[in-house]
Amino acid sequence: MITLNHYLVVSGILFALGLAGVIARRNILIIYMCLEMMLSAGNLALVGFSRFRVTDGLPDYTAQALVFFTITVAAAEVAVGLAIIVALFRTKQSVEVEAVTKLQG
Amino acid sequence: MSVFTIEAFLAILGLVLLMLEAFAPDISRRTIAAVSIAGAALALVLFLTVVSSDTASLPGFLRPWMALDSLAMFYKGLALVITLIVLWLTHECAPYVSKYTVDGRVTELFSIPLIVCSGMMWMAAAQDLVTVFVALELVTVSFYVLVAFARKSSLALEAGVKYLILGALSTGVLIFGIAWTYGATGSLSYEGISKALALSSTAKAPALLGAAFLLAGLCFKVAAAPFQSWVPDVYQGAPIPVTTFLSVGSKAAGFVVLTRVVDAFLVEGSIIGSEVKALLLILGALTVLLGSLPAMFQQSVKRLLGYSSISHAGYLVLALACHDSIRSELSSGGIVAFYLGTYLPMTVLAFLVLAILRVNGGGEDIRDFRGLGKRSPLLALAMTIALASLAGLPLTAGFMGKLFVFISLADQAYWGALVCAAIGAAAGFYYYFRAIVAIHSSDSGLASQPLTVNTASKAGAIVLSVAIIVLGVYPKPLQKILVKDAPVAVKAH
Repeated sequence: MITLNHYLVVSGILFALGLAGVIARRNILIIYMCLEMMLSAGNLALVGFSRFRVTDGLPDYTAQALVFFTITVAAAEVAVGLAIIVALFRTKQSVEVEAVTKLQG
Repeated sequence: MSVFTIEAFLAILGLVLLMLEAFAPDISRRTIAAVSIAGAALALVLFLTVVSSDTASLPGFLRPWMALDSLAMFYKGLALVITLIVLWLTHECAPYVSKYTVDGRVTELFSIPLIVCSGMMWMAAAQDLVTVFVALELVTVSFYVLVAFARKSSLALEAGVKYLILGALSTGVLIFGIAWTYGATGSLSYEGISKALALSSTAKAPALLGAAFLLAGLCFKVAAAPFQSWVPDVYQGAPIPVTTFLSVGSKAAGFVVLTRVVDAFLVEGSIIGSEVKALLLILGALTVLLGSLPAMFQQSVKRLLGYSSISHAGYLVLALACHDSIRSELSSGGIVAFYLGTYLPMTVLAFLVLAILRVNGGGEDIRDFRGLGKRSPLLALAMTIALASLAGLPLTAGFMGKLFVFISLADQAYWGALVCAAIGAAAGFYYYFRAIVAIHSSDSGLASQPLTVNTASKAGAIVLSVAIIVLGVYPKPLQKILVKDAPVAVKAH
């Protein structure tokens, strides 16, 4: 029997993996993928909480509505984000974090 | 009249201008700039008429998700004012910004701020985390575009990438925080959250986890620790109008959400009240120090203003931690709003002077300010007033806001935080006055020819300087707006 805790543990693992990737990886595209994974972790937790909060035999759908918004927003974010990363690649011929270290101090 | 009409008008106007730019390339920059400035001015006039005649209303379908308390109205007005100023500043800066954009086009810089403005106005009224999230992302994603807009400059592109990565990271943290807050309280509206937190049957650990992630995610928007590291880089790399917009507009919109979220978490009898307060105190004190101390060693004025923006965010987070301050007639949310209201003219003035220097071919370092007193006494005086006010000198607008923060900290006996805030303020006097000394030094520095300043910029600088002095000597009008709203803000949860 899969309980709420199972979903929350998976969501926590996804979030931690994403965060570790953002901190450890040097390639901006991979960092961006890890960021998307963190968003999915949030979504999974929202759906899990929503599904297991049952009133009158029906789950509470408020949080699931938020998930749809999150997915849409994430798509918009990816569109803009990839455009910026492509622009970076065109200028620097690289998408490693070493390409963006001029601003310091 | 419905305030929603004004917001929808701004968003639609922004989209129409964006489409015009894409499909009718013959339309000149001037036309688009004129239409967008006129549109923002019209929106501001409509808004002021609605507010003064007290007929603001919301369409029925929005009632569960938004409320028009006076805190919301104040921040909506602030968003409109700063958008109008930024559009005008963009128009002034267009000659130099267009050097760094693809094909020299800057028309998007006039349409996207309108969309950002409607997002900030929705954030100000939102009563529900779903609405907050969508409005906040509307603002953030638009800012990704604005920050990276001058992408032929490698610094701007780098700033854009850094803003994008940290912004997306904070979105992830925010949504995770929202999920756990929902899991603990079973609600996504401020009202439901605060009701559930006042019950002793609510589980404490998940609520605390949600609150910590939610607050951390919001800290990105207001430029506070732990997500403050983007600020100096982005301020330095982004075009000046965008930096101005970020430092006033985006920060104010973030703080109205933070004010309401903290209000919900610190409701009477909240099970996580003391922990959230401690967290805010630590984050606030850390932000003040992380902003003020590095600022002392900066050579670039834009970076300096970035670090100063971090430390101002720190004072405001500290003000929010003193939630139920008894002695002051303002609520903590009122103090934050007052502080941001005074923060607007001084920040805009500092960036305006920087923009004028830049348009005249000058740089952005402190040494470029040497001898400004001789080149343009008016600009030198304006910059002096702006920096003195940012430092919090008595009789300038910045003084009262800081004073309120210090009084509420002392009232609650948060001595550790008070010491950090005092260190930050002392460091502030050092770094702002280092710039002021450079402005008035007799040595003329790199350039010595007199500056050409057009009439509009001159008028803008004078109006803003006068506003700073008037608000410093006689802050009552601004205070009055906010005292009136204090009971409403309390009633909101």
